Amino acid sequence: MMLARSTLVRWSCALTLVAGCATAATDTPDYSSVPAWTSRAIPEAQGAMRTTADGKREAVRYKGWTTRDFGAFRTYAYADTRPEPPVQRAVMPNGVTGDAKKGRALFLARAKGPCTGCHLIPGDDVWPAGSVGPDLSTIADRKLSDAYVYQQIYDARVVFPNTSMPPWGVTGAFTPEEIVHLVAFLQTLKGPLPPEKDPDRNPVTRTKPVGFGDNLDPTNNPAVLMAEAAEAVWAAKGPTGKACADCHEGGPANAMKGVAARFPKFVPAYRRVMSIEDFLAVHAPERTGTQMPAQSTTNLAMSILVKMASNGMPVGIDTSSQEARAALARGKATFYRRVGERNHACADCHTPETGANKFLGGRLLGDAKAGLTRHFPVWRTDRTEVWDIRKRMQWCMIPLGANMLAADAIEYAELELYLTAFDVGKPMSVPGIRH
Amino acid sequence: MASDIGKVRLRIPSSIKSDDVVKVRILVIHPMERIERDKQGKIIERNYNYIDKVLVTYLGKTVASFDTTQNVSENPFFAFAFRATDPGQLKVTFTDTTAGKYEGTTDIKFS
Repeated sequence: MMLARSTLVRWSCALTLVAGCATAATDTPDYSSVPAWTSRAIPEAQGAMRTTADGKREAVRYKGWTTRDFGAFRTYAYADTRPEPPVQRAVMPNGVTGDAKKGRALFLARAKGPCTGCHLIPGDDVWPAGSVGPDLSTIADRKLSDAYVYQQIYDARVVFPNTSMPPWGVTGAFTPEEIVHLVAFLQTLKGPLPPEKDPDRNPVTRTKPVGFGDNLDPTNNPAVLMAEAAEAVWAAKGPTGKACADCHEGGPANAMKGVAARFPKFVPAYRRVMSIEDFLAVHAPERTGTQMPAQSTTNLAMSILVKMASNGMPVGIDTSSQEARAALARGKATFYRRVGERNHACADCHTPETGANKFLGGRLLGDAKAGLTRHFPVWRTDRTEVWDIRKRMQWCMIPLGANMLAADAIEYAELELYLTAFDVGKPMSVPGIRH
Repeated sequence: MASDIGKVRLRIPSSIKSDDVVKVRILVIHPMERIERDKQGKIIERNYNYIDKVLVTYLGKTVASFDTTQNVSENPFFAFAFRATDPGQLKVTFTDTTAGKYEGTTDIKFS
């Protein structure tokens, strides 16, 4: 009997070891099995580029978004194997005299950083300052050398390898001369500080936003009405003579109950991870003939309608398959991958150890580990538009200085899968309402 | 969308006590078509259609009425408050410029 038990113990140890090895293997992202994907998104959501009449390359993006081409900087595309910008030691240029006044203007310039997005400095005109980076209100009191401050702005990774501070000099966002002006300005910031007149000026004492009320109330959230309008699409026969309602019986609320709680998931038929939005973009035209490209009004409205059928149910994605685990590992790698002119990772702003729950300018940063996905698509009060999480990700690319991928890109789908893993067990509440 | 015209959403607090001042939120699905003008500012003749009258009755008596006089917005939203003295029906009637009439009702109950 004793012998049997010890054998059992030994066996379970061996099993643990094997399991441990298996986990370690899938933790290293494997990009070899990712299929090529042709975007089924509306033209402005595909991350496409075009050449203008005067020969300039510009990005095709949503109306009102910048068309600047960030092609010089690496993106989230798995095929983009360019390294991060190289870590560079910098020497202050000779013959340039720092001008503190110019430096302050550069510090506040929206077209540049603005540095105030992360750092507080004194002044009633500093609005809105963020708290992701250190408060620099009295930085000069630390008596740091000009050369050190210059290096911190030029490329802080020389001293802090894991910093969130962009390498402003390396990527050319600031010229060496401009950095000299910034240094001159920072060296004027000495205490004591005058008493704060407005508690909202300082991101540490600023009131946190309280939200916009009940997101499921149609008198409060226009996205609910938009989804209800999609019920007509649900019942309408497409070019093939079939409607959604012909295969999915009992109306969307019954037929789709609990479906969205299992998305995003690995869909074997397409050999990729798909969200409801991704799936509708291929499934609807295949079955009904009705086009439902990603980011189209119909796709968004139908996605909300499908997700509403799971409201209140806990998110329950299944990541047990080998494919899903591989996708999850890639999604995690994306979350920590540094991209763009700013050389930022998602993790710089969205984990509690970094920027989450702090202010970036006037915006409170969400915490990925508390779950960010279960209310998407959301009604955005500032834009009076519905955004799914993909458009939100694409919007994040602009301040990062990276060209966006297609809304239905596999890279974003697997990042969404990784983010959704933090929502497991929490109730769905779609559509959300956010600023 | 068109088939939904006149669908009224009426929201009251889930718990109401006697003599409470009750906040009511109402939204009606309506295109509220605009008056269009040409470059000279002349009204382009078209059969525009918007809600110009909102009437709220409680226990059969009028407690509020709104004359919007113009196309406020698509799917307009109204909010108002009234004092709930007795249990009974709250009724909101919308009338548009093409004589369409849309109603929403809710029962005021005390808890």
